[in-house]
Amino acid sequence: MLDQKATVTHRDYWSMDRSEVYDALGSGKDGLSEQEAQRRLDIYGYNELPRETFSGLRILLRQFNNPIFVILGGAAIVAGFFAEVNQSIAIATMIGLSVTLGFFNEYRAEKTVQDLRQNVSVKAVVTRDGKVSDVDARLIVPGDLVSLYVGDIVPADMRVLEAKDLQLDESTLTGESFPVEKTPSPLALERATPQQLTNYLFMGTVVAHGTGKGLVIRTGKDTEFGSISKTLARPHPETEFQIGVRKYGNMLITLTLLLAAGIFGLNALVGHPIVDSFLFSLAIAIGLVPELMPAIVTITLSQGAKRMAASRVVVKRLVSIEDFGNMDVLCTDKTGTMTEGNIALNSYRSLDGSDDPKVLCYALLCNSAVVGEKIVGNPMDSAVWKYAMDNGEEDRTKPYVVLDVIPFDYERRMMSVAAEKNGDVVFISKGAPESVLARCTHREVKGKSEPIGPVLESVKARVSEYSKAGYRVLAIAYRTIGKKPSYSVDDETDLTILGFLTFTDPPKKDARQAIDKLRDMGVSSKILTGDNELVSVKICQDIHVPVKRVVTGADLMKMNSNEIRVAVEEATIFARITPEQKLEIIKALKGNGHIVGFMGDGVNDAPALYEADVGISVDSAVDVSKDAADIVLLEKDLLVLSKGIEEGRRVFGNSIKYILMGTSSNFGNMFSAALASVFLPFLPMLPMQILFMNLLYDVANFTLPTDNVDEEYIRRPTRWDIDFVRKYTLFFGPFSSLYDFLTYGIMLFIFAAPPALFQSGWFVESFWTEVLVIFVIRTRRIPFFTSRPGKWLTALTISCVAFGTIVPFTPLGSFLGFAPLPGEYWILLVLMVTTYLLLVDAGKVFFYRVCKF
Amino acid sequence: MPYPELFAWWAATITWSIVFLTLISIYLYINSAKRRRRPDQKGQVAGRLTSDFAFVWILLGLLVLYIVSIDRGSATMFAAGNVVVEVILLVYLLRNKASTAE
Repeated sequence: MLDQKATVTHRDYWSMDRSEVYDALGSGKDGLSEQEAQRRLDIYGYNELPRETFSGLRILLRQFNNPIFVILGGAAIVAGFFAEVNQSIAIATMIGLSVTLGFFNEYRAEKTVQDLRQNVSVKAVVTRDGKVSDVDARLIVPGDLVSLYVGDIVPADMRVLEAKDLQLDESTLTGESFPVEKTPSPLALERATPQQLTNYLFMGTVVAHGTGKGLVIRTGKDTEFGSISKTLARPHPETEFQIGVRKYGNMLITLTLLLAAGIFGLNALVGHPIVDSFLFSLAIAIGLVPELMPAIVTITLSQGAKRMAASRVVVKRLVSIEDFGNMDVLCTDKTGTMTEGNIALNSYRSLDGSDDPKVLCYALLCNSAVVGEKIVGNPMDSAVWKYAMDNGEEDRTKPYVVLDVIPFDYERRMMSVAAEKNGDVVFISKGAPESVLARCTHREVKGKSEPIGPVLESVKARVSEYSKAGYRVLAIAYRTIGKKPSYSVDDETDLTILGFLTFTDPPKKDARQAIDKLRDMGVSSKILTGDNELVSVKICQDIHVPVKRVVTGADLMKMNSNEIRVAVEEATIFARITPEQKLEIIKALKGNGHIVGFMGDGVNDAPALYEADVGISVDSAVDVSKDAADIVLLEKDLLVLSKGIEEGRRVFGNSIKYILMGTSSNFGNMFSAALASVFLPFLPMLPMQILFMNLLYDVANFTLPTDNVDEEYIRRPTRWDIDFVRKYTLFFGPFSSLYDFLTYGIMLFIFAAPPALFQSGWFVESFWTEVLVIFVIRTRRIPFFTSRPGKWLTALTISCVAFGTIVPFTPLGSFLGFAPLPGEYWILLVLMVTTYLLLVDAGKVFFYRVCKF
Repeated sequence: MPYPELFAWWAATITWSIVFLTLISIYLYINSAKRRRRPDQKGQVAGRLTSDFAFVWILLGLLVLYIVSIDRGSATMFAAGNVVVEVILLVYLLRNKASTAE
């Protein structure tokens, strides 16, 4: 009976025999009772890995985690305090609008991912009360007796109680690509690593061969699998875009505070009323703050995510879309991403180099795959059977009866069988060429056996050639032997080498096209694999990835951090590397200033997926990988990667437009208003008028996420560059101020305008320039002629301009303190705004072409 | 002239805007030349300053136009001057059309 979790977690079940394990876990050959299982479920909880739960409240609270809202909230309170209830309500409305939009968009995106996750459920065959039944793997508890069959995913950490040729694919946990044999035998170890525990089965690993039974010892987060995922339970590192937006926010806050404080101080100094000065400086501060930026960014991101979902790409973390677009290095595992992930038999050659049916026949006999409706077993043995069945060769083994099997193990790196045909027994061995050749004394030439000695080196050279050509190679050898009750490894001597099997994991059909497309988009690809370098080079050649340098895990271990930083720039292939080295490579690339994507699907890929700027996984990946990933491809189609990158660049492009708009025209307007307030005998615009203009400006920007993005912006990765934003603001901000000052001159010296008329004239000019300049700023090309804006953007912008134009003539205008403008003013305004837009466009030529930003 | 006491500060603000823009342009130009380590070839400097800074010359022209027309309170002069400047700007933009679209 178990009372505490700790007793389960820390006991060394590997050294116990079966009855001791049963006793220790309070179970038996009939398993637990249903009642006891339920009790333990209450104690240990569900057998699942901890993951961030879906919480609407958390999403809502996250919306407020923004310095812009802190300023606005403070402004609303202060305005309310000074009995400016209308202003307070207006500011609160802006906050509410932003929060609501952000919340609904993020809620919808997270709900989609949550729903996707809930579609996946795993069952296990469990014995309880002596009855065997399928149980949801989440309900498994320590002490449950679980039966395992080929292809099953181990649902929890277990101690093996029964095993029949049981082999586990632990590659998702350890990165080891060959299956590991498991037995129930106790182990005399003081301490043990997971790799040493041959009587343990680990959650998330796959039964590659044989059957077995295990008693569950740990579930959920207490498993080895869980301990890996715990290391991932730290917050995601900030993406470059998030860092950029944070720095930008800080820059604006500093500017806003300085400017607001300066305006208030100067206005007070020149004798303007204190409360009026304060409210005016507050309105200017609000005008400067791009309060809708979070909403605009979220809308842009979620629309991008929606479009990506149509390409069967699920975006789990919205903000990663931008980094997806800006990514300039994609690191990817080879198996299953660049290759089909299905090993196929390429040839079955005799020593003279031609395909020999006898080699194929012996390979089918000396084979651990289980052939039923499906072929299951280790990938190479399965590939031999698949080839035979596809080519009608499966009957070759019919005259034979297999008498005994000596399974594969990692010391011998080979397996053998004894097979009888017409009373003669042949002993066949198959395995790693160096292991098999070491046991060979003869070779078969045209059906006759000859000593191998004189040609041994040339045979080894042939094996090397096959490897260099990118094939995995197995050798087949045999000997005739007398019939006896059983055979052993001692019989694996005096063998005659018959030939070789070569295998290939073909590259995906779309891999070359996808890699070419990524290269065209400025994304270089690097392969990070546990496989050997020769095979990796061959795959790269097949998919036309130019290999500049190959670095192995052993090479990396010898390098210092500077050498690693150089190596990650130069190398295309990192072969025979460990999961830790994958992480090291990604960190080095990031340290070199790259935005790094990593694509992987195993548990050993999860830390790298987490560390990368953009972690990409596939739907068939293990849960922990999908959890760590930012983006999940529902289909293993590499071409959707380039579509995703395009989308990311489109999203980034439109987000940047809003930022550039805010920091140039908006900033210029507020600066000129601030300056004018000091010299004019009246306020250049009333606080409510500034807030109204600000709201109207934000509405006009709402369709910015739907805008078209120029092709050249999508062609290359673009980085967030705060220095660029700063220079852009410094250069384009004064254009807007210049035309504001010009309007002041016209209103004062041509129209001799009283305050209300002055404010109306400046409101309309300011709004026109501020909103219409989007058509110039949104592109580096000539607006409308070589770059067309999105139809919704055009429609809403024009509508807003029209609305802003008629406001002074409406009751709303009167309420806001505006006065109708004379006809002559409109002529001057059209001319002035046209000159402004042309001048900004000319400035753009200077900024981008002459200064080459 | 209405608000005569305000004309001086108005002229100062508009002048300062254009001077600031000119200074920023020079700063960005020098900064980008350093960034690109483009060696200046003496013979071409004058020609390049004319073409590279075309929009700055237009700005300075605008300054004169705006101050003179507003000083005189002449909406007609202001409107006519704007039309002329727009034509100049259009020509400048069309000449740079190909390189902008690069």
